[in-house]
Amino acid sequence: MTAISDRQKLAYVAAQASDARVNLELETEGMILNIGPQHPATHGTLRIVAKLDGEQVIHAEPMMGYMHRGYEKLTEVRTYPQVTTLINRIDWVGSFANEVPFILAAEQLMGIEAPLRAQYIRTILFEMGRIANIILFLGDMAVQLGALTPIFYAFRDREYVLNQIEAVTGGRFHPNFDRIGGVKDDFPKGWIEDSLSAMVKVREFCDQMEDLLMGSEIFQARTRGVGVIPPDVAQQFGLSGANARASGIDWDLRRDSNVGLVYGDADWKVWTHPDGDSFARFWVRLQETREATSIVDQLLGSIKGGPIMAKVPRIIKVPEGEAYVATENPLGEMGYYIVSKGDLTPFRVKIRTASFNNVSITPWLLRGVYVPDIVTILGSLYFILGDIDR
Amino acid sequence: MSSSEDTTIPVSESPAADAPSEPAAPVDDLREGLVERLTELLGDGVVDHHIIPGKDVWIRVTADAWQHTAESVRYTLGCRYFGFLSAIDWMPSPWGRGMEAEVDTIVHGKEAKELPAQTTGYAGGDTRFQVFARVANIKDHFGITLKVDAGDETPSVPTWTKVFAGADWHERETWEMYGIDFVGHPFLRHIYLPGDFEGNPCRKDFPLLARFVKPWPGIVDVEPLPGSDEPGSDTAGSDEPAADASAPEETA
Amino acid sequence: MGLGLVESGKMPKPLTKLLSISRSYSMWVYQWGLACCALEMGAAFGSPRYDVMRLGVIPFPASPRQADLVVISGTVTDKMAPAIRRLYEQMPDPKYVISMGSCANCGGPYWDSYSVTKGVDQIIPVDVYVPGCPPRPEALLEGVVLLQQRIKDEDMQSRWRGEPIVVQ
Repeated sequence: MTAISDRQKLAYVAAQASDARVNLELETEGMILNIGPQHPATHGTLRIVAKLDGEQVIHAEPMMGYMHRGYEKLTEVRTYPQVTTLINRIDWVGSFANEVPFILAAEQLMGIEAPLRAQYIRTILFEMGRIANIILFLGDMAVQLGALTPIFYAFRDREYVLNQIEAVTGGRFHPNFDRIGGVKDDFPKGWIEDSLSAMVKVREFCDQMEDLLMGSEIFQARTRGVGVIPPDVAQQFGLSGANARASGIDWDLRRDSNVGLVYGDADWKVWTHPDGDSFARFWVRLQETREATSIVDQLLGSIKGGPIMAKVPRIIKVPEGEAYVATENPLGEMGYYIVSKGDLTPFRVKIRTASFNNVSITPWLLRGVYVPDIVTILGSLYFILGDIDR
Repeated sequence: MSSSEDTTIPVSESPAADAPSEPAAPVDDLREGLVERLTELLGDGVVDHHIIPGKDVWIRVTADAWQHTAESVRYTLGCRYFGFLSAIDWMPSPWGRGMEAEVDTIVHGKEAKELPAQTTGYAGGDTRFQVFARVANIKDHFGITLKVDAGDETPSVPTWTKVFAGADWHERETWEMYGIDFVGHPFLRHIYLPGDFEGNPCRKDFPLLARFVKPWPGIVDVEPLPGSDEPGSDTAGSDEPAADASAPEETA
Repeated sequence: MGLGLVESGKMPKPLTKLLSISRSYSMWVYQWGLACCALEMGAAFGSPRYDVMRLGVIPFPASPRQADLVVISGTVTDKMAPAIRRLYEQMPDPKYVISMGSCANCGGPYWDSYSVTKGVDQIIPVDVYVPGCPPRPEALLEGVVLLQQRIKDEDMQSRWRGEPIVVQ
């Protein structure tokens, strides 16, 4: 940076001041900019109505509901296995991770515990879903900022993970594989070796992302200091997952809760970042991907043989009661509050999705930012429309 | 299995501010302590509670104490994390539920069954609508589910937005889905549904009309191929009750 | 193509056939995904494995005004339906629609929901339906190939006049 003389500084400040005075004199009213529901930058059908003053946002409000499919009503007329089919379409990138809290809550109401191998399989697929999800995030955030290359890498490397998930479950990202009491099938032959090599490729991808993006001046200038969320505000809104950990909150349901997945058998760490800006959120997720590959490697190394399904009746009637189970999904904390009356179908299922809370902070967060920063912030918060709208 | 019935955000035997908790004992000191402290703070506000030892606690409060409850859990009990807020409609659905859904059988000419009596869940309840919320304490790893009776015909409770800013959207959604009025909310308006939507979809008496037009045919073992002309191959109708279903765990 | 040659039928058949063939190999797809199927669509368009550009389908435009083809991928809700209609009308003729996934075909797993439109063909005319939940990227590519065959067999005269499409 060349030294700026005082005179230049004064001229710059004067220009800014006169600009502001012009705004006042002309009495420019805010312009209302409608972003979406169809827009390349809104990750789906989210509509943001932003009231602008020049380039700054005075007030931005997301309008949702364009993907509202009525899950909570639909679950009341479907049996438990049918609900499983439906709910892995809530967070449609995180595949297996959507089914797990529901199955765990139903199992705990029934008093069943899945056998150990089934828990291992669940955890491994859960982490693979997380990896697939965050790979997409890493590519997607780059494309929001204008870097086109990473998303092609992301889609290419996601294919390896999706291949593995498909080899076990039959579906690339709607696996419908979890059953009350265990999982549907066991791993096919040779799956473990293929997965280990897929994890190697994912780690290479993370290194590529780090090379391509994180050191880039443009990336840093666009994300550092943008969209800072203080930890107390984060908790008030119920921010969870990497968004909360990027604000310094040390909380991870994989470590802090005891829900029936076998994270305790692997040696891994929780990544936090004190800044709370968009760069922190990107960084935390990148580290989490690496950590997830390490968890998968360890679990694949230590999985033992055994049954994959506990004894459950053919027709599943969950006894009366209420249960809430939340797990650390790729997007944040996802939980199912099941109210059961002893029937074939649940009486009420409240789906607590991470993105709903994550996006509820945007009216507070988007005050005073510039229009390009809206895109950065939305990209770094990382929500999936199905998760918001259910 | 008595110890694995339920789970909260994290379940752990970590030391709490109140008293050491015992892992497998039937008495849950941590949660009993929570109920006691809340009762101290709210007095008559706490109506009922239910504890599953080692797992979770449900506390029901009065509508008048609802806002004070929010302040107490946030500032005194340290539950600064806002989970969610929603409602339950305890009325049994007039159209039944599940595979023997009444709507499907009534359309095919069977008589409507009698409605079962309305019952409520943990920590009881007096009214048809209940609002419930979940908050958690991240440092000490526990969560509390709070319930409040909202009312029967025109349900309404005070708002939580002054204490937890994140409750804003949750209350809007609950208002939209159940018709529960939140007194003091800055601007209750539609969040999911189009502005001219009539009715409150999640209420039990809101019908899913698609099921009236084309009822669910019941659990089919082998679906007939399209264009099959045999009249008996279609199991539409309720003559094959769910008891005959052979593989409900398969995806239907 | 002006001067009323195409409408009046004076354009010789081999020439219109050639024009249809070249049209079918240069389709510009509008970048729009609604729900889960959008990921498979993204994999088909963006990933090097199921490359769609080798079929001549270019996934660049972000605006409907520059697109020939729109792939409705995902659930159509009643709130979104007017937007879909408006976006379809903004596309210039000749335009084609592929309905991808069972939600767009017929409402799919949400057939009984109160807020889902049971099939996008209630709003806009659809040329090719690709079934699946979600359909694999290869299935979408097959849908594109079918659409290309359909375009090649089109009667350009009736299309130009705005009559219902006749496929020979």
